[in-house]
Amino acid sequence: MSLVPDNLNYTEEHEWLKFGKKDGLARVGITDYAQDSLSDVVFVELPEVGDQFTRGDIMAVAESVKAASDIYAPISGKIVSINEKLEESPELVNESPYEFGWMVLIEPEGEVNGLLDAASYRESID
Amino acid sequence: MADFAGWEMPILYNGIIAEHKAVRERVGIFDVSHMGQIFITGPDTVAFLSYVTTWDMKRQKDSDCRYCHILDNDGRIIDDIIAYTFTSEEYMVIPNAATIDTILSWLLENSGDFDVHIKNLSNDYFCIALQGPEAPRLLGQHLNTSVKPFRLARERNTIVSGTGYTGEEGCEIIGPSEEVKGHWESLVDMGAEPVGLGARDTLRLEKGYLLSGQDFDGTQTTLETNYSWVIDWDHEFIGKPALISQKNRTYAKLKGIMLDERGVLRPGLPVFYNGNEISSLTSGSMSPTIRKGIGLAYLNLPINSRVTVEVRGNHLNGHVVRLPFL
Repeated sequence: MSLVPDNLNYTEEHEWLKFGKKDGLARVGITDYAQDSLSDVVFVELPEVGDQFTRGDIMAVAESVKAASDIYAPISGKIVSINEKLEESPELVNESPYEFGWMVLIEPEGEVNGLLDAASYRESID
Repeated sequence: MADFAGWEMPILYNGIIAEHKAVRERVGIFDVSHMGQIFITGPDTVAFLSYVTTWDMKRQKDSDCRYCHILDNDGRIIDDIIAYTFTSEEYMVIPNAATIDTILSWLLENSGDFDVHIKNLSNDYFCIALQGPEAPRLLGQHLNTSVKPFRLARERNTIVSGTGYTGEEGCEIIGPSEEVKGHWESLVDMGAEPVGLGARDTLRLEKGYLLSGQDFDGTQTTLETNYSWVIDWDHEFIGKPALISQKNRTYAKLKGIMLDERGVLRPGLPVFYNGNEISSLTSGSMSPTIRKGIGLAYLNLPINSRVTVEVRGNHLNGHVVRLPFL
């Protein structure tokens, strides 16, 4: 049973987003379900601060021992920060997918829509 | 689960890294029943197997196991096998799953001048590998036996050999298919950690062991794989003339590449030297032990040469290393 916290938004590509109440910035990572299917993450390739993405672009890559998995931009916007700890400790993605294993902080551009709430995401992985 | 030569096989049970460490530090158990068992019997068994492999089986004593190659007429590897010597008139050959039929036809095709009987019993036998520093203890508890590296013990239909594909101490147990469950469950109960194909690949790659169909695919010779130690030059065998003529030329050999920066290597990635693409990886992964990207490639470069491997458009720095990695 995968953990799906109620207070986050999700995509069907198994990313989670958490919007900052004040700054509106979106913290993004992959879900518990995603980290579990990937198994041991041994390398995470992150974008650079300042990179611009359109929703659906390949934004990052998480590599397990067995395979590389693309991670798509869940919304359009600009990367304002990345989780540099993942360079030394990619296993944080497995150990703490919703907290220490976050990947990027995005400044959203344009209207944000099409995201799932926790209930809908739970249904999608059932 | 993954399809492997028609067998449904698990990539992992518990996590590739955990399984890998279990084998290096304790003991892991692998169901490798997909591997073949071809029995060769008759008065010409030794002469025949010496002719169709790179090894002179006259050098085998009863109960010896020998790793060697079966070559085509051009010296190219059809498969790598382990030959089990029961007696000079009874051998068992273990080919890889995907090449059982090819090897069987090749043996039959070349057996015309020899008084031998060739029988494929691959579907009748299981094979379980028990690997890791604690493997000998578990084998003792389980079957009340022990076996030295590259030696075998047989009791009725059950064969235990000091062989494996991980570079660790351990054995492989071969027996009638219907008995596999009993062996598996009792060894798991004793603490052997089930290991899937994922860790099987990282374990063998750290030791520089060849993966049939990937590190050789029917187009490379034993010399090119850098496995000349499996050749006994003092006997006649299929492919020998081609190897002798290759010996005098320069050719690319299978070598290791280790990344100097973070990244994971994968089979098929292009390798560059001085900005020119010179080869591609036949195997690649992240070494769970060394925690670096490692791979194999056919290279005409000396050890320590600086190379780059292109991963998603980025050139990652690495260097050529002597095998094994570990």
